[in-house]
Amino acid sequence: MPDWKAVLTRWLAERRVDQVDHGSVIEELSQHLDDRYRSLLARGIASTDAEASVLEELEGDGGNEALARELRRAGRTWPADAPILGVDTRSRWLGGFWQDLRYAARALWRSPGFTSIAVVTLALGVAANTAIFSIVHAVMLQPLPYPEPERLVRIWESNIARGWPAWSTSEPNFLDFRARTTMFEAIAASTGQTFTMAGSQGAEIVRGNRVTAEFLPVLGVLPAIGRNFTAEEDRPGGNVRVAILTHGFWERRFGSDQSVVTQTIALDGANYLIIGVLPPSFQWGSADLLVPLAPNPEGDRDDHRLTAIGRLRDGASIGQAHSELAAIAAALGEHYPESNKEWSVRLASFYDWLIPEPARRSLRLLFAAVGVLLLIACANVASLMLARGTARRKELSIRLALGAARWRIVRQLLTESLLLAFVAALAGLAVGAATTRLLVAYGPATLPRLSEARLDATVVLFGLAIAIATVLVFGLLPALQVSRQHPVDPLREGTRGGSGAVARQRLRSGLIVVEVALSVTLLIGAGLLFRSFWRLQQVEPGFNVATVMTARIRLPSAAYGVRTREAFIERLLSEIRTLPGVVSAATSSAAPLTAGNTSTEVRVPGVESRDGTRPSASWRLVSPGYFATMDIPLRGRDFSPRDVAESRSTVIISEAMARAYWPGRDPIGLTITPSSFGSRERTIIGVAGDVRSLGLDAEPPRTLYFSTAQLTLSATQLVWRSSGDPASHVAAVRDIIRRVDPGAPLYELRSMNDLRDDSFNPRRFNMYLVGVFAGTALLVAAIGLFGVMAYLVSQRTGEIGVRMALGADRSAILWLVLRRGLALSAAGAGIGIGLALGLTRLMQSLLYSVTARDPATFVAVPVLLVAVALAACYLPARRALKVDPVTALRAE
Amino acid sequence: MTDRILDRELKKGSAELLILALVEPRPRHGYEISQLIEQRSNGDVRFKVASLYPLLYRLERRGWIVGTWVEKTGQRRRRFYRLTRTGRKVLAEQRRGWHRFVAAINRITEVRHA
Repeated sequence: MPDWKAVLTRWLAERRVDQVDHGSVIEELSQHLDDRYRSLLARGIASTDAEASVLEELEGDGGNEALARELRRAGRTWPADAPILGVDTRSRWLGGFWQDLRYAARALWRSPGFTSIAVVTLALGVAANTAIFSIVHAVMLQPLPYPEPERLVRIWESNIARGWPAWSTSEPNFLDFRARTTMFEAIAASTGQTFTMAGSQGAEIVRGNRVTAEFLPVLGVLPAIGRNFTAEEDRPGGNVRVAILTHGFWERRFGSDQSVVTQTIALDGANYLIIGVLPPSFQWGSADLLVPLAPNPEGDRDDHRLTAIGRLRDGASIGQAHSELAAIAAALGEHYPESNKEWSVRLASFYDWLIPEPARRSLRLLFAAVGVLLLIACANVASLMLARGTARRKELSIRLALGAARWRIVRQLLTESLLLAFVAALAGLAVGAATTRLLVAYGPATLPRLSEARLDATVVLFGLAIAIATVLVFGLLPALQVSRQHPVDPLREGTRGGSGAVARQRLRSGLIVVEVALSVTLLIGAGLLFRSFWRLQQVEPGFNVATVMTARIRLPSAAYGVRTREAFIERLLSEIRTLPGVVSAATSSAAPLTAGNTSTEVRVPGVESRDGTRPSASWRLVSPGYFATMDIPLRGRDFSPRDVAESRSTVIISEAMARAYWPGRDPIGLTITPSSFGSRERTIIGVAGDVRSLGLDAEPPRTLYFSTAQLTLSATQLVWRSSGDPASHVAAVRDIIRRVDPGAPLYELRSMNDLRDDSFNPRRFNMYLVGVFAGTALLVAAIGLFGVMAYLVSQRTGEIGVRMALGADRSAILWLVLRRGLALSAAGAGIGIGLALGLTRLMQSLLYSVTARDPATFVAVPVLLVAVALAACYLPARRALKVDPVTALRAE
Repeated sequence: MTDRILDRELKKGSAELLILALVEPRPRHGYEISQLIEQRSNGDVRFKVASLYPLLYRLERRGWIVGTWVEKTGQRRRRFYRLTRTGRKVLAEQRRGWHRFVAAINRITEVRHA
């Protein structure tokens, strides 16, 4: 009997059908041939004839190759059969994945226009979002660097009647709070103090913090080396000459010497025993070291200068703690009405204190801006995917018609989308990382913990997630619509597209309107910030900014009495004034923009009793010549030099003060009694121009100026004005100080210009970033508009050809295209203005001297946008003009 | 001559219907199907291996029939084809179409005798 299997194997091989894959086919067919052969033999046919007759079976009808063709078809498998050796199903699925991936890469590579625009658009969105998120994450979301930070509370005293909602605490008041509270595990106080430390390169300023013994336990910090202060070291008259170094200072000044404990450090000429070193994680302002505060129960209750903090008892709430401390404050008010009347307390969590509302508001604004940018990118990706889906409908339909499973096509689209998202995320994260570094380097000091912002795992995950979510939600869903269609429709539609194409084009137009609207909103926001910044730059600060230098100088208190200090300052100033190029020099307790507020009560005859509260004003101690040096206009006269008696009986007031209490009158020659510096009656000898000393965006405070001839402060601010660059005199001024007294350090050298820049910095940060994001949004929207218009032109090539053939002139064709782009962008601009009217009100607090409905911005932005939109439409319009009527019509 | 025409025409339009109808009552293997076609048409219609199996495989690929290897003691295992639910629907549809076709042909060709 013939070997039918061998016959079939040979037969299949001749037709290049892979026989191994079809083992069971051979088995089935050979049985059939065998049966046939046997039945022929049974009918008495000779074996050779029977064999020939059976072989004819394989010829088919008319020699067709139906069997071979059927067997060769891809995907013919025998699932229920014995598994085919050498291939396991799992690797086959993975193999399918790699095949999908390769196919996806090829598909994206084949349409570089689509791919690059989608990747760039999405990457920009991811970059902006990851950069801002990395900052939000570091500043707002990271837990504070203390154990159980939610139990830490900042405690202020407050006096609403005098307009001081959050004021520092006095030493006796702090001690009473500490003794009576039950809601806190412990409360502690600290206050900054600078020391002069003698060193090999002259005197050096060391920043210290005087803290109570509970300070480190409240924060939950243990010294890395040595020990904390004892109660004995933290009481007046105790052994207070001890110090704990911060880790950075220990490294810098002691070379990380482990045996530093038991050594001493000379601060302001006194020896302090080093008892400990803090861990590197400890952060508290810019302190170099801690020394005991030793609060004095006999101290002045009205002298508020302590920063009080506390750690809540387990289970106690901040509200309970507030009620308790407020009750204690009220009791103190009854007991010490002279100093404590009307004083209460205010509490805030560490989070609310350390990450203040303006910083959070700024980050919320930026996050909103990048969110809008991402939405625009989403709309663009959706629009691109729609266009691409349309272009691929035929390809997908053919594949469906050829029997591809629907899930297989969905999987293919999914792979393509994910590949796109992944590439965009990588590019976006790279740009985002660079942006984060830039923001950290140039961000404002008002953003706490900004330096900790970086692209960590959380941020990378965030970036990947938004890229993938964008592509899946805004890209893949429209694409899936395509796979749901009937396979035959697109094949029938021809090149121009039927009703489905019209609907899709309408959707794309809608997306463009959304993009334009969001861009307009963002641009208006940026415009308002820009206008605020511009207004701020126009503000008259009230003093010379261009050529004034400021520096702080500290005199070791042990070595100087008031008289010698004054003589020292006098000699210093006269020597500085002789420097070539220096116009004038003076001192002040605080130059504008350099320090916080100061306040004193003032008795103004006829004013104080009106509503029961006394007038108060900010104060400065200034040397003669200060107003001239700072270019502050002065009516009346300046203090005269070296006249102590006069300095005790005179005062100069600011114009704001004069306006407030002597409206329409000249106060020169009248008297007032400020409570600071001896509560003496003083004659007003001059009225100085208003100075925006607290910040250029803050109103000039009512200010009293006292003469330095009575000064008791050991640190003072030196200011000098030059005819040119004031910083060029720094070395010469240092020389003079070294000559006059090498023990007096000069520090915090800043030009007034730098200080002004610093005060602009938070606003500039917001403005630049929102501006950059708005610009990016505009670019992305323009790209989107360009894409839609180009597609439109390609769809209407035939129509344009007909119009040209019928004699339409070029301007009519140009208008045909531009009109459409203009309509879309005008609709978007209109919606955007509406959105902006609603949203910019939320940013009123970030604006300066500009309303949230600033007409100039609301007009300029849409005009700019329509101009950009026209530019984006111009290229496609040019292409429309180049349409050759003959070619266009032949394509029909 | 008529035999050849019948054979060709049947295969062209109705081969699917034949096979579906044959596996309707119970599952059958390929050889059995070819034998039944030959017997019931009195030898007028015959499918060779090269045309029968592509047809079976195609119907199976469409999910109208499904083939499974069945082993019976003392016999070689054989591949039996059984009608699926989809196949049953298709068969019903094709039957209706066929009856309408035959009726139409009859009406047209027999109009002379009316």
